[in-house]
Amino acid sequence: MIRFNLVLLFFLLPFLVFGKGENKIFPYKINQVTLDNGLKIISVPFPSPGIVAYYTVVRAGSRNEIEPGLSGFAHFFEHMMFRGTEKYNKDKYNDILKMIGADNNAFTTDDYTAYHTVASSAELETIMDIESDRFMNLKYSEEDFKTEAGAILGEYNKNFSSPFMTIYEKLREAAYDKHTYKHTTMGFLKDILDMPNQYEYSLKFFDRWYRPENCAVIVVGDFNQEKLIELAKKYYGSWKRGSYTLNVPLDPPQKKEKIVNLTWKAKTLPIVAIGYRGPAFSTEQKDMLTMDIISQLVFSQTSPLYTKLVIEKQWVEFIEGSQSDSRDPGLFTIFTRIKDPQNIETVKKEIYTALEDIKNNPVSEEKLATVKSYLKYSFAMSLNNADVVASKLSHYYQLTGDPESINKVYELYEKITPEDIMEIAKKYFTNENRTVVTLVQEGLGNEKY
Amino acid sequence: MKNIKNLIQTLFIAGIIMSNIHCAKSPEITELYQSESPLITFRIQINAGSINDPQGKEGLNALTALTIGQGGTKELTYQQVLDKLYPWAASINPQVDKEVTVFIGEVHKDHLDEFYKILSELVINPRFDEADFQRSKDLLLNHIKNTLRGTDDENLGKQALNAFMYEEHPYRTTEIGTVQGLEAITLQDVKDYHKKVYTKDNIKVGIAGGYPKSLLDKIKSDFAQLPSGKIAPVNLPQPKEIKDMEILFVEKPARGTAISMGFPIPITRKDKDYYALMVANSYFGEHRTFNGVLMNRLRGDRGLNYGDYSYIEHFIQDGGSRFQLPNNPRRQQYFSIWIRPVQPENAHFAIRNAMYELKKLVENGLTPEQFEMTRKFLINYSKLWVQTTSRRLGYQMDSEFYGTEFFIDSIEKELKALKVEDVNNAIKKYLSAENIKVAVVANDAATLMDAMFNNAPSPIKYASPVSQNILDEDKIIENFPLKINKEKSKLVKVDELFEK
Repeated sequence: MIRFNLVLLFFLLPFLVFGKGENKIFPYKINQVTLDNGLKIISVPFPSPGIVAYYTVVRAGSRNEIEPGLSGFAHFFEHMMFRGTEKYNKDKYNDILKMIGADNNAFTTDDYTAYHTVASSAELETIMDIESDRFMNLKYSEEDFKTEAGAILGEYNKNFSSPFMTIYEKLREAAYDKHTYKHTTMGFLKDILDMPNQYEYSLKFFDRWYRPENCAVIVVGDFNQEKLIELAKKYYGSWKRGSYTLNVPLDPPQKKEKIVNLTWKAKTLPIVAIGYRGPAFSTEQKDMLTMDIISQLVFSQTSPLYTKLVIEKQWVEFIEGSQSDSRDPGLFTIFTRIKDPQNIETVKKEIYTALEDIKNNPVSEEKLATVKSYLKYSFAMSLNNADVVASKLSHYYQLTGDPESINKVYELYEKITPEDIMEIAKKYFTNENRTVVTLVQEGLGNEKY
Repeated sequence: MKNIKNLIQTLFIAGIIMSNIHCAKSPEITELYQSESPLITFRIQINAGSINDPQGKEGLNALTALTIGQGGTKELTYQQVLDKLYPWAASINPQVDKEVTVFIGEVHKDHLDEFYKILSELVINPRFDEADFQRSKDLLLNHIKNTLRGTDDENLGKQALNAFMYEEHPYRTTEIGTVQGLEAITLQDVKDYHKKVYTKDNIKVGIAGGYPKSLLDKIKSDFAQLPSGKIAPVNLPQPKEIKDMEILFVEKPARGTAISMGFPIPITRKDKDYYALMVANSYFGEHRTFNGVLMNRLRGDRGLNYGDYSYIEHFIQDGGSRFQLPNNPRRQQYFSIWIRPVQPENAHFAIRNAMYELKKLVENGLTPEQFEMTRKFLINYSKLWVQTTSRRLGYQMDSEFYGTEFFIDSIEKELKALKVEDVNNAIKKYLSAENIKVAVVANDAATLMDAMFNNAPSPIKYASPVSQNILDEDKIIENFPLKINKEKSKLVKVDELFEK
């Protein structure tokens, strides 16, 4: 027998019971305190002895990049946040993280940016000190700014060696006219190349969005709630509110199918991406959550379409279709990689037929129950460490401003009926609401795409 | 920083929980019991990997694993298996490497019995449908022919380095084989391989979570149905000696230039010096952090690319985390530097910059302060590598492979005993800034090869000005001499790689 002197994170008894009405899917208590300046401190005690996950969520992502020529800035700014302050320059900031052995990084999405650290609970005050400092007092030189632009181009180069990034970029560009979801989080290449010239805008970006009323600090793990709030007041209390209001231009409904054909110089199998303009996230309206269920019914590994295309006919390597949660109306996106260029049109037709089927034939209650079971179990099984829990809370907080949305989502899933599914499918999966991008390898004689 | 305490102390006080590991014979079982965990993880490890592929059938180990892991049982078709697993959100995933193959299963304990039956049946009595075999074969072939050769330059660079570093060595192929090898494999080959290799003496079953103890007896009796017999261990010769810088230029259409470089090292986790070298490596290039010299000099100061890291063993990132994927242990390891894609015009400079920094590391080692800080970091950071029972189980099984204590415990024990001299001696003993292999994936590889063969100056091209001290150092780097072994270097078209 070996005895381990290590932290263990599994004490998840509460999530053994769910689906009984009054039980919430999220088995932990969510504390919420709003400081005078509007900053939300959201905390969840979680059985991760000695470990705490610390997220700072800024409700600004590439959706906020409303000025032409400045796409990709939310992501660029995420990089700049590691460039230091007067109190802790970037080397000192890194040295502190190194000393405490922290796991630290950040990511940017369409709607938000999250800065995350996992470390010893004993270092909570240290983390709060360095994190609050950079959110309130970030300071970088124009030279640092320009150098970091090189890293962004490097990231673009890294990502775009894959045709999936290219096809996804073109799909969004075609599907939207005005809305900022037109560009990916990376931004358009021409804007990335121009980033070194936008130092002044970067300061403006920080001034607009990195404000307490637009942010939340999310702490999950082993900590003392009273002490946490005391520290939050001490370190974030002087952070000043902002005043900027965002007006994202909304697109009118799509009137006509859009087609884009691309070629790829290196080796690739044909890839097809199909986008349908879908709903925005909501815990009140059923649309978005019904789209999640449709995604499972039509594209999961147990769907008739998957069975036919992947397992029986073996025409495609994989197929998937889903819509990510988004604050404004997002895109339901279908991706498939087709083994033989001859089958491109056949596969597209199969996809359209499957979507017609979901519009016109009610799904059985039994099948619907398996989907709801899948959604619940996959969520519950994912909550296996403090970092994941903090990440899930961040996601739902940024969508609505309320982390309790996490529970509302799973309550609403329960209420979705076969009729809802047909109705929502008819609403969004129409020909005129569709954008289709097809990518094939250059020089193989099938460049009609 | 007066408020920075020793993380380890904190973790120990807060988190002492008993875990039991015990082993039994045929099949061996590695157990990590946690009564309150409703998530059950299985890691069924087959002690065979791509090194066991027969000549001419390279890929047989991987194709067998995939046909099993994404196939049916004698009772259930693949589709029926998927239908069963779906409402439970349970998963079964095969993972292949050079020396071991693992089937990772995860399920909520509500469905443990039914899930275990499917998982064990898949491994013990796989269905081996022709359709499952064909689909798996297509998937692996397409991965090499299209994904690796066409759409994933970073992994292409890493696999190209592997092929170059381990020429004529059992590690030489990708973990999923070669194009011609895979094409030659029949379903009968797969069935025969399963019969020969998936024996009760070749399998170790890892299980973690709050399972009933009676399950262990069931595992033992079920897997005892498998035939007996151990496969003969594959002899691993010393990899070819490297003389000066040997470069493999891989030409393909590419936006950026991807670079991987390295050389085999004769130590693994079982060796004391591994832990000394671990400190040096963390200081030089800790994966996806801003701790490392490489990251700070190449990306931080110069914005050359997205990231620059180094490793002293084969390293695969676990999903979106920054931590290493467990269950790919190897008897032989290698040191490597990963330079993520750079602008083509800066590729020569980037290689020089990395070599310039490596030379400084080899010549100067770490200062006592750098040593202390890095050691402390690693002791604390490594505790975060096992935040889930699944990962902990994987690391435990790896520790058993290497014949060591639990790896995370070994790190703490060995690092605490280290002195800066140990680290600097290990650097001198195992690292070289002269004899190294480089794989470069480039759009215009021929031009880069000419420039490198001629040792031409390679001034960095900045999009915008940088400070004078960096420009001064650039002057040294752009002329930093690289002693290139032209005879051993070569340029290949991407389609020539991983062919046979």
